[in-house]
Amino acid sequence: MKRYEVIIVGAGPAGLSAAIEAAKKGLKVVVFDENDKPGGQLFKQIHKFFGSKEHHAKIRGYKIGEELLKEAGELGVEVVLNATVVGLYPDKEVNVRINDEIHHFKGDTVIIATGASENMVTFPGWTLPGVIGAGAAQTMMNIHGIRPGKKILMLGSGNVGLVVSFQLLQAGCEVVAIVDAAPRIGGYGVHASKVSRTGVPFYLSHTIKQVHGEDCVTGVTITEVDDHFAPIPDTEKFFEVDTVCMAVGLSPMSQLLKMAGCVMEDNPKRGGQVPIVDEYGETSVSGIFAAGDVSGIEEASSAMIEGKMAGVCVAEYLGYIDEEEKDSLLKVFDADLNSLRQGMFAPKNRGKLIESTEEGIEISKNLLKKGYVKDDEIERFPGVVHKSGVHPVIECTQNIPCNPCQDACKKGCISTGKNITYLPFVKDGSECINCGMCVASCSGQAIFLVNEDCGDGSATVTLPYEFFPLPEVGTVGFGLSRKGEKLCEAEVVSVKSVGAFDHTNLLTMKVPKEYAMKARFFKCS
Amino acid sequence: MNTVVDRSIDIGEFIAQPDDDMLICRCEEITKGEIRKAVHDGMWTLTEIRRYLRTGMGLCQGQTCSRLVKGIVARELGVSPAELEPATARSPMRPTEMRIFGTEEV
Amino acid sequence: MSRISEHPILGKKEEGREVEFTFDGQKMKGFENEPIAIALKANGVMIHRYTKKEHKPRGLFCAIGRCTDCVMVVDGKPNIRTCVTPLKEGMVVNTQDGVKAVGM
Repeated sequence: MKRYEVIIVGAGPAGLSAAIEAAKKGLKVVVFDENDKPGGQLFKQIHKFFGSKEHHAKIRGYKIGEELLKEAGELGVEVVLNATVVGLYPDKEVNVRINDEIHHFKGDTVIIATGASENMVTFPGWTLPGVIGAGAAQTMMNIHGIRPGKKILMLGSGNVGLVVSFQLLQAGCEVVAIVDAAPRIGGYGVHASKVSRTGVPFYLSHTIKQVHGEDCVTGVTITEVDDHFAPIPDTEKFFEVDTVCMAVGLSPMSQLLKMAGCVMEDNPKRGGQVPIVDEYGETSVSGIFAAGDVSGIEEASSAMIEGKMAGVCVAEYLGYIDEEEKDSLLKVFDADLNSLRQGMFAPKNRGKLIESTEEGIEISKNLLKKGYVKDDEIERFPGVVHKSGVHPVIECTQNIPCNPCQDACKKGCISTGKNITYLPFVKDGSECINCGMCVASCSGQAIFLVNEDCGDGSATVTLPYEFFPLPEVGTVGFGLSRKGEKLCEAEVVSVKSVGAFDHTNLLTMKVPKEYAMKARFFKCS
Repeated sequence: MNTVVDRSIDIGEFIAQPDDDMLICRCEEITKGEIRKAVHDGMWTLTEIRRYLRTGMGLCQGQTCSRLVKGIVARELGVSPAELEPATARSPMRPTEMRIFGTEEV
Repeated sequence: MSRISEHPILGKKEEGREVEFTFDGQKMKGFENEPIAIALKANGVMIHRYTKKEHKPRGLFCAIGRCTDCVMVVDGKPNIRTCVTPLKEGMVVNTQDGVKAVGM
């Protein structure tokens, strides 16, 4: 039997953040994780995060993971891998399987940060090799460097489905469609748009009827559904695919808390079975805390803050800091968490149809149904302006707590106004120097630099480009619309890749000037 | 134990459905029809279903199917899935070979 | 080839030493310490096992060791989660049939 001041289960964003905060206050911390690598799902997240500086905005998830690990290491946090917690008891006794032995530990406090597991839906053929979870796809391509398949259909249009679809494209796979039974896209519009402009079609109000194949997936048939999710006859569409990927939500992995006797509830807004916790994560069992997805499905950014809160609370629980210090720290974390929980995708708005922005602008219905804002809709958003010379065009059309664009512009051209969720706009009289920092720093890849009239009948559009092979200057191809359809001939006139862009290359294409506000992606011919 | 299930409710006869052969528990290969029948056999709680059919008792320990089973049982009983208590959680949380318990280190 | 030679964000992956292993009697190559399932996938293997009752094929599903659909017989031992078990030189990997190796 070994005793620790705090035992943390799960070395993901919440667990590591909790460990760091507790260790900073001088606690002896151990983190157990059943996986062979720490970081939870962070190392699979290769996109830039949303939020503000405090939330690690515009930093890619795997880099945040590296930062957390480094900090935990420097603070002397002990992270034990391949250590499966198989039992947790009310007296904070923890049974851990390490290698081929069961070890007993006793914690003065315990923080459960076990995260979530993927939900699945059933359809004929769902057990065939080639039907996989979205997490599996991420693990294969972003951790092990292997493509999950050649041609893939994605089921689920929440942020996971959208982000993983984009990552599949980055890995060199073809995504034939994104399908969702819901009538509206569940994830951020900007995530949908960056996939849509490459030509991936969205099928909302559709579901999988059947996956075909004897030994493995050879195709999939989808069908349209009515308002009650019942299939509509004669609406089937067939796709030849080798992989079907499911991104249909997450459920908290809260069984350990239930085992320990924590009072649980089934809360659909939090994703399923969750412990009843106070605002800083303490469960009904004194000294057992929960942080991150295990106490309610949210983003990694909020999981990190919840972890910090739990870390500070255990420090106070054990007398390492006084109540005053705890309160002042929690006040800061509270404010951070609160700002993340704003906007139309806030947990409180889950499942609600929001028809206009906080500014009172009507949301694009096409964006919610098809994944892109139509040409005649885009003009009503504040970031879309017309000016002479090169200027940013910000196609940010939903209230999301995110503001790296505002900090990116050294000339102060861009502002989100007083609230972090407001739609960014280009300030009057501001001078754009075409540096491209706004384009590269937008986590939603929604900013373009446009010169609407170069004087010779052409226009230039600079767009974020995160694919290989990177087209060379002089390459002639097509300008694609927001829907991903070929619009016009386009020529690459500049490709910029500098360290500060963090792998977001800036590709500038020349298009006929009538397409300046329409062409949003480049495709080689 | 489970408080929600009022066993005096009449849930009617078992009526076959076209997708009864849909596999739900991937590990133990239990179908939707078997789960629905189990409810009509009187297994109204998830813990009973688990003992009766072995759903969620395979290698993955219900990681994939428990939510699906819950939905099917709830629909059959005409209650919301949120009203059904999940099956008991107990050690070992993950499949563990007997020989490992045999080498328990205290 | 399903391996990603260079990724636009992650760059080139550092691979372990190339090792040889056997899958159902056939010699195959993979990288040391990568999950067995990844080496199999790179070699085009989709079916990891056949189920006990219905004899249906299963393969990689969750890829993180939770679902256990990818279990195979490795070095004579059944129920090995190939998605989280590192590949070693000379490993003998067999498709699992129920709880035993195919043809055993």
